[in-house]
Amino acid sequence: MDKKKILICDDDAGIVDMAQLILEMNDFEAIGETNSLKLYDRIKTEHPDLIIIDLWMPVLSGDQILKRLKSDEHFKSIPVMAISASNDGYQIAMQAGANRFISKPFEMDEFVKAAHEMVAH
Amino acid sequence: MNDNQFGELITGTGSTESLELLKAALDSSVSGIIITDNRLPDNPIVYCNASFERISGYSRPEIIGHNCRFLQARDRKQPERQMLKEAIVEGKTVNVEIRNYTKDGTLFWNELYVSPIKNAEGQVTHFVGVQHDVTRRKNAEHTLRNERELIEQTVKQRTLSLEQTREYLESIIQTVRESLLVLDAEFRVMTANQHFLKTFKVDRSETIGQNLFNLGNGQWDIDRLKELLNDILPTNNPVLDFEVEHDFPHIGRKLMLLNAYRIELEGEFKDRILLSIEDITERRAIEVRKDDFLSVASHELKTPLTTVKGYVQVINHMLSEQSGDKLKEIVGKTSTQIDRLNKLIAELLDVSKIQSGNLEIHRDVFDFDKMVKEVIENIQSVSPNHTIKLSGATNVTYSGDESQLTQVISNLLSNAIKYSPDHQEISVYLSVISGYLKFSVSDQGLGINQNDQAKIFERFYRVSNIQKKYPGMGIGLYVCEQIIKQHKGDLWVDSEENKGSTFSFTLPLLNDESK
Repeated sequence: MDKKKILICDDDAGIVDMAQLILEMNDFEAIGETNSLKLYDRIKTEHPDLIIIDLWMPVLSGDQILKRLKSDEHFKSIPVMAISASNDGYQIAMQAGANRFISKPFEMDEFVKAAHEMVAH
Repeated sequence: MNDNQFGELITGTGSTESLELLKAALDSSVSGIIITDNRLPDNPIVYCNASFERISGYSRPEIIGHNCRFLQARDRKQPERQMLKEAIVEGKTVNVEIRNYTKDGTLFWNELYVSPIKNAEGQVTHFVGVQHDVTRRKNAEHTLRNERELIEQTVKQRTLSLEQTREYLESIIQTVRESLLVLDAEFRVMTANQHFLKTFKVDRSETIGQNLFNLGNGQWDIDRLKELLNDILPTNNPVLDFEVEHDFPHIGRKLMLLNAYRIELEGEFKDRILLSIEDITERRAIEVRKDDFLSVASHELKTPLTTVKGYVQVINHMLSEQSGDKLKEIVGKTSTQIDRLNKLIAELLDVSKIQSGNLEIHRDVFDFDKMVKEVIENIQSVSPNHTIKLSGATNVTYSGDESQLTQVISNLLSNAIKYSPDHQEISVYLSVISGYLKFSVSDQGLGINQNDQAKIFERFYRVSNIQKKYPGMGIGLYVCEQIIKQHKGDLWVDSEENKGSTFSFTLPLLNDESK
């Protein structure tokens, strides 16, 4: 069976690197993007099984992208996991239509478990 | 009595009987009566009655033949003397009150009527002087005048002192760095202090006497202010910390905190309204900026922390396939410290928000017992040396901020473990007591002495003797208490030194929200 593809978008390269490493260790194919403006095009070309997106990013924020994705017929079925270090992250993520929210810093096990669950759907 | 009869009296003619009668009549008068002969040089006294002798203290032989002036003794400069002199020269009637002296030198006030007696040719032959001793009346008048002067003096002093007090109070009002208005019962501005004029950029002349709601083209015509003055103040005097936000045409949006007080004391000032206006626009903006800054700061601090935590977990994962206990232990300790750092960052933001009153609770219904069990499981998993025992249950679906209450319970449990290093058992007890759910956690650890018990809920307070042994910032319990307060509950401690502590909190079960 092919590996599931996860696209991670965070403006912090350190987080993208770390998350990619963890996901790859757990048999996912992980690709990263640090520029939120390019994310939409990346989704179009990469067709990920899961999108992990940071909420608080410069210029175009995660919740803005989320809202656009969830109102786009082509992409609204792709599950999105929102991650944030912000205290009100959960509310923002849910309002924007995220399928799941995990606060930063996260527990690796919880993170991986959530990823597995979300691609299985 | 006509001129002839008087002539007879003076010259001793006329019937002896009528003369004696007349003499007796004059002697029985209370008024002193003298007659002077104007035709003789220096107008000497030719008759005096018994009362005159009594009033003056002189006897008849000492009086007859003298001019009246002896009565003034040495008190010669009285203006009344001039009046007498003129009247006598002109042959007119005169009425004076003059200071006279008795033979022994005692002053008496003489109310003197002098009237001329003319003969058939119209020449003044005699003067009759009628005298009353009005010393008592004069003294009373004098006393009265003195008293009036004294009162006037006192009134002047009081007025001055009131004026000074008024100026003193006025200077305080004008100097104070807060806007103050005094309104009359119809909301007309009676006084506006300097700070008010400066803050709201208005002129005294266009303010005083105006109705508050008409001030500056109606820029004070604010619904909330009307509500305060019309609806709230009449029944809730005084009103404190009443927040009003308003966009003023020239000075922009202002956030104001108002105190209003209506004078209820009977009298001149009754129903006047004191309105104190604090401009908190700037302060609120700073608070928001501070919270924003801390939000950004904590977010930024958490970002690299997330990466570090991730990698440490990866290392830990890799380790599990190999041996090397020392390394495992080091990685484990690193993890613990990362979690601590994360918690501190979160607490810092919480304290800031509590202080500026911006800690919001997001109420949602949740299973209270389940939440407690989960927290216990979490804490138990990282505390292998302690056993947390749960007893009782609330069986309540509570409406509150689950993540904040999780924080409280987690904090209380962590403290129980932290401060009872040598005792393994921690017990948690859940119950419902008359409309309140109750959570208690007991340890058999160090305990807290009476003095410290009062202070442990204060911000940054650390019990001194444990400060070095047990690290921490001293904000955990402060945050816990604030969260419980936000939920209208109560958090307290029962403790005895070296025997242990029990921390408990109660939360009200609101009928419509919790069930």
